[in-house]
Amino acid sequence: MATFAMPESILLRWAQTPGMTELEPYREAGGYEAARRVAAGELTPEAVIEALVASGLRGKGGAGFPTGQKWKFIPRNAPVTYVVVNGDEGEPCTFKDRTLLEGCPHLLVEGVLIAALTVGARKAYIYLRREFYRARRTLEAALAQARAAGLVGRGVFGSARDVEIVVHSGAGAYIAGEETALLESLEGRRALPRLRPPFPAQAGLYQRPTLLNNVETLCHVPVILTLGPQRYKDCGPPALFSVSGHVVRPGVYEAPLGVKLRSLIFDYAGGLRPGRRFKAAFPGGSSSMLLTEEYLDVPMDYDSLRVLGSMLGSAAVIVIDDSADMVEVIARTVEFYREESCGKCTPCREGTIWATQVLERILHGRGRPEDLTLLEGIAKGMTGTCFCPLGESVPPSLVASLRHFRDEYERHIAGAARDH
Amino acid sequence: MTTEPTVRTVTLTIDGRRVTVPAGTTVYQAARAAGIEIPIFCYHDRMPPLGACRMCLVKVDRMGKLQTSCTLPAGDGMVVSTTDPEVIAGQEAILEFLLINHPLDCPICDKGGECPLQDQTFRWGPGRSRFVEAKRDFAKPVSLGPILALDRERCILCWRCVRFGEIIAGDDALKGFERGWVSEINTPFTLPVESKFIGNTIAICPVGALTSRTYRFRARPWDNEPVPSTCTHCGLGCAVWFDVRGGEIVRTRAREAPAVNDVWLCDLGFFGHDYVASGERLTAPMVRRDGRLTEASWEEALDLVATRLRQARDRDPRRVAFLGGRRLSNEDALVAARLFGEVVGTPHRDHRVDAPPGGASLEVAWGLRAPLEEIGRGEVFLLVGCDVTEEYPILWLRMKAAVDRGAALLLLHARRLEVRRHARWERVVRADRLADETVSLAEALERGAAAGSPAAPAVAALAAGRGVHVFVGRFGLDGPGGGAVLAAAARIAARSGGTLHIARGKGNDLGAQRFGVLPGAGGWAAPEILQRAAAGDLDVLYVAGSDPATAVTDRRAWEAARRGVGFLVVHEAFRSATAEVADVVLPALVLPEKDGTVTNLEGRTLPLRAAVRGPGAARGDREIFSLIAARLGALFTYGTGDEGFAALRAAAPGIAPGAVLPVAPVPARSADRTAAPPTGASAGGAALILAPIDHLFTQGATTGRCRGITALAGAPHCLIHPDDAARLGVEPGALVELATEHGAAVLQARVTDATAPGQVLLPRGFDAVAAHALVRWPHAVAEVAVRPLAAVSAGSLP
Repeated sequence: MATFAMPESILLRWAQTPGMTELEPYREAGGYEAARRVAAGELTPEAVIEALVASGLRGKGGAGFPTGQKWKFIPRNAPVTYVVVNGDEGEPCTFKDRTLLEGCPHLLVEGVLIAALTVGARKAYIYLRREFYRARRTLEAALAQARAAGLVGRGVFGSARDVEIVVHSGAGAYIAGEETALLESLEGRRALPRLRPPFPAQAGLYQRPTLLNNVETLCHVPVILTLGPQRYKDCGPPALFSVSGHVVRPGVYEAPLGVKLRSLIFDYAGGLRPGRRFKAAFPGGSSSMLLTEEYLDVPMDYDSLRVLGSMLGSAAVIVIDDSADMVEVIARTVEFYREESCGKCTPCREGTIWATQVLERILHGRGRPEDLTLLEGIAKGMTGTCFCPLGESVPPSLVASLRHFRDEYERHIAGAARDH
Repeated sequence: MTTEPTVRTVTLTIDGRRVTVPAGTTVYQAARAAGIEIPIFCYHDRMPPLGACRMCLVKVDRMGKLQTSCTLPAGDGMVVSTTDPEVIAGQEAILEFLLINHPLDCPICDKGGECPLQDQTFRWGPGRSRFVEAKRDFAKPVSLGPILALDRERCILCWRCVRFGEIIAGDDALKGFERGWVSEINTPFTLPVESKFIGNTIAICPVGALTSRTYRFRARPWDNEPVPSTCTHCGLGCAVWFDVRGGEIVRTRAREAPAVNDVWLCDLGFFGHDYVASGERLTAPMVRRDGRLTEASWEEALDLVATRLRQARDRDPRRVAFLGGRRLSNEDALVAARLFGEVVGTPHRDHRVDAPPGGASLEVAWGLRAPLEEIGRGEVFLLVGCDVTEEYPILWLRMKAAVDRGAALLLLHARRLEVRRHARWERVVRADRLADETVSLAEALERGAAAGSPAAPAVAALAAGRGVHVFVGRFGLDGPGGGAVLAAAARIAARSGGTLHIARGKGNDLGAQRFGVLPGAGGWAAPEILQRAAAGDLDVLYVAGSDPATAVTDRRAWEAARRGVGFLVVHEAFRSATAEVADVVLPALVLPEKDGTVTNLEGRTLPLRAAVRGPGAARGDREIFSLIAARLGALFTYGTGDEGFAALRAAAPGIAPGAVLPVAPVPARSADRTAAPPTGASAGGAALILAPIDHLFTQGATTGRCRGITALAGAPHCLIHPDDAARLGVEPGALVELATEHGAAVLQARVTDATAPGQVLLPRGFDAVAAHALVRWPHAVAEVAVRPLAAVSAGSLP
C-alpha cells in the first residue's frame, strides 16, 4: 500500500490537542478571539453571515442546509430569539460531535456565542444526547470557566450583551435529533416532530424564532472567522467523517469535503482487515442509502451522493465487508428504526414493525419467495408518505439491498424451503 | 365611506375543477367545499391539522412528494389530484399499514356501522391482506376510569383524543405513552381519567378503541333511532341526539349547534340519560291514605287535588303556593304560571327553590347577559364564586379557546378550580372572605393597584377594558356576604366596561323565570313560601319540576314547611324525598319524554323532542296542570307545535326558535352591603367552617339513577386542606364525621389544597349525605368539627 499522508487538520486538531478542554490553553491558541470581535462589534452580524455564506458551510447534522442562509432567516427585530444546539448525535455510527465536545468544548461555546450575538439571542440551549455523560461533564466545566472569565452570562467580553447558555440532556430518543422533535423535547414534551411550516427560524422554541445548528456546524464557525472564508475553503473545506465498521482504524477523520469514499476507507481508516473484500457501505449514517463496490470512487460531498439517491448525512461511513450477511445487516438496521420510530405517523410506525417482522422471519428460515415483493411493497408504501425523515430513511437501503444482494435473501428463502 | 375588508382568495384546481377559497384554507377543506371527499383519520376540523395519519394524501403539480392535504395551504394556481394512481397507491399503502395490526372484530365492535376505518377500507382499501404475521395483541379492554374503556389493539394512534384534551378541553386527560409500534394512549400516571369531557373523545375516535362502559355492546348504530333534542342538565341547553333503541335512550351524542355547544358535550350530557329508563319511575298516581302513599287512579288523585285547591282558593287564594320549574319545559312553566296565577289566583310562585333567604340570587334575574358566541370572543373572564367546569362545562370550552388566543382568565373562589392552570390570576380564600376579596378587587380596580401587588395582574387585565365578562356564580351569590359579592362584581363590570353575568340556574330555570314562575305582586319568594308554610299560612303547597326536600339549602326549613302545610302535591318521576312526604304524588314525564321548548342560560329558546314514551300512566306536567285547571273551571287549550309556540310568544314577545331573547341586564346597584359573618367562624382563626359547593357529577334523584354519572361522582366526600388534615389526624381517603351544631354526616375525606385552609368543602347533590342538614338559614356556612373515624378492617371475618 502506498504511504498516505493525512492533510493537516484545522478543526479536529482543536479536539486532538491535549489540554484543550481548559480555557487558558484554548485562549492562548487564539480561541475566543473571533467571539470577542463579534461582541466588541468589530465584526458585525452582517459580516459574520457574509463570511459563513462565502465559506459554503452547510449543516453537519444530516440535512446539509447552507448555514449562512439559515442564520439570515432569523428575524432581526424579534423581541425574543433563541439559539439551540443539536448535540443529540443519535445517527448510528456517528461520533464526531462527541469527539469535539470531549476534546475541545470551548470551540462549541465560542460558536454558540458568535451565533447568539449574531442573531440577537440572549439565551442558548445545548441539547445533548442522554448518553453523553463525559461530554456533558467537559462541556459544563468549560462553560463554568467561560462564565467565570466573563465570556458567558451577563455582559459577555465586557460588552453590554448577555448570552446565557443552558445545557440540557435528552431522554434517549433518536427522534430527538430531528430538529422540531428536539424542540418539543426541550419544551418538556414527548419528542415528536412538528409540522413545518412554521420553520424553527420563524416559530421554534416556545414559538420564538430559533436558530438551530448541529455541534460540528457551530464548531466550524470560529475557524471560518479566524481563517477567513477563502482560506477555510482552500483547506478542503474541511469536514469530519466518522468511519466505522469493518476497517482497521475506525475513528473520526478530518478530510476535505469531496474526498473519495475509497480514500476514506483505505487511506484514512487503514482499509479492511486482511483477506476481506469490501461489500457495501453506508456513506452518511444508517439513514443514507448503502453503496456497493462500484461506487467507491464517489466524491463524499452533498451533491454527488444525492445524485446517487444516497446522502452525505452526518458523514458517518459504515463499512461492511464480505463476512457480513446483508439480510442481517438490513434487519438490524430496520430494527433500529422500528425501535426509534416515534409512533406519530402511520407508515413509519407500522412499516418498520412489519418490515422487521418479515426480515426476522426470513432470517429465521421461514421466508417465502413472495416476501421479497412484499418487502419492496412495504418500502414503496413508506416512500414519500412519512411525516419526517426518520421513516423515509428506511426504504432506500432496504430496496438497495433487495436489488444488489437479492441472492443472499434468496439463499435464506431457499434454505427455508429445503428445511421444510 | 368605508369599504368592507376584502378577504383574499386563492383559486386552485382539484381533480379538474376550479375551486376558489379564502387564503389560508387547506387543500383538504377546499376539496371538501367543492364536494370532493378526501379520506382522513387524524384530522378533525375543530383542531389544527396534525398530518400524522397520512391518509389524506394528494398529488400536487410541481411538488415531488405526495402531500397531506390537511396540512397543505391551498395556493393560487395549484393543480391537485385526489385520484392520481400515485395517490391511490399511497392511500392504499396507508390503509394497509393501519389494518395490519387492527383486529377485524367489526362484528362485535361498537363502532361497526359508524366507523371511518371500516368505511374507508370498504371504499379505498385493498381487497386482501398481505400480512401474515401475528397481529399486535393487548389485554383488553383497559379501564381508563369509571366510564372510559380502551381497546388498545383497535387504536390507530390518530391522536385525536390526546389533542382534544390538549386543545379543546385543556385538561390533558389522555396522553401518548411509549413510542413507535408500542405507542399507546393512557392517562397520566395511569390514574383514572380526570375530565368533564371524556365522552367527546369517544365520539371523535375514528375506530372502536375508546368506548364507554355504559354503551359498550348495547346496540348497533343502525338499530338506533336518533332523536334531536336538547340536554336539560346544566342549563346551557346543548343540542343532543338521543339514540333510542327498543323504547330506551341508549346513548346521547352531541348534535352540532355552533352557537351553543358547537360539536361538543360534557360528560353529564353524554351519560346523564339512564334515569329516564329507570325501573323506579313512578307509573301511577299515589294518594296518602292512613299515613301511607297508595296507588290511586288519575281521576281520584286529580279530583282530590282540585278539591283541596278549590277549598284553599275559596278561603284565600294566597293560602296556595307553587314551587318548582327547573325540570319543566317552557310550555309547562307557562301553564303552571297561569294555573296558579290566574285560576287559583296566588302570587306565591317561585322556581328558585335552592335559593337561601339572604342570598343575592333572589335579588337579580338569572342568566348570561351575552350570547355564548360573544362570550367566546371575550378577552377577560373574571369568575367570582363560579366553578365553570363543575357548573357550566360547555361554557369553559369557549373560554379555553379564548385563553389560547390570549384572553385572561381571572379566578376568585373559595376553591382552586381545575382550570386554574389556564388562569392569569387566581385568588383562593375561605368562603367567609370571598365578599371582602371581591370588594378589594373592585377597589383596586377603581383606585389602581400598585405594581407588584397581588391583585395587579387582575387589575391590569380588567383595566384594559376590552371584552370583559364577569361571572358571578351560585357560590358567590348565595355564600356569606352574597349581596356584597354581587355589588362588587357589578362595580368591577361597570368600571371595566364589561358584562355582568349571573351564572345561576340549572335545567330550565330560565324558562320558569321567563314564563312566570316568579312571585307575583305581593308574592313570596321560595324561602318565604317555606317559612310561611311552617307558620301555618298555607293550605296547599304544590311542587312540580323540583325536589325541594333535597334542593332547599336548609333541610329543617323544608321539614318545618312540610309539617306546617295541610296539603302537599308533587309532580314527580321518582319516589324522591319530596314525594315521600307528599299527600298526592302525580307521576310526571321527564324532559327527554316531552315535546316543547326550553330556555337556556343565554335566554335562547331551544327545542325538546320526545325521544321516548313515559312509563305507565305518567303524564306531562302541562297536561296535569290542564286537567286540574279544567276541574277548577278553566279550560286551557295547549296546542303543540306552532300553536303552542304562539302561546309562549304571547307571554314572552320576541322569542323565536333557536334565537336568544336577552335576559334584562343586571341593574346597577348604588349601595354596597356588608357581609354577614358566618356562625362563629369569624371569632377564632382555628375554627373550621363548612361550605357547601356544587359538583357536576352527583348522586341525586336523577343523577343517582345514571350508572355513568354515579360512577363519575364517586363516594360522597368532603374536601379538607392538608394543613387541617394534619392537625386533625385525618388520613387521605379516611372516613370522617363532620359535625355542626345542626347535624352530622359521615363521609370520605379528600385531603387536597383545592380548598382553602380552615375550610371544609362539602359537595351538594349526594342524597346519601345531606349537606343541607349541616347548615342553617340565614347562614351559608357553619362552624364544623371534623372527627376522623377509626379505620374499619376490610379483611374477612374470622
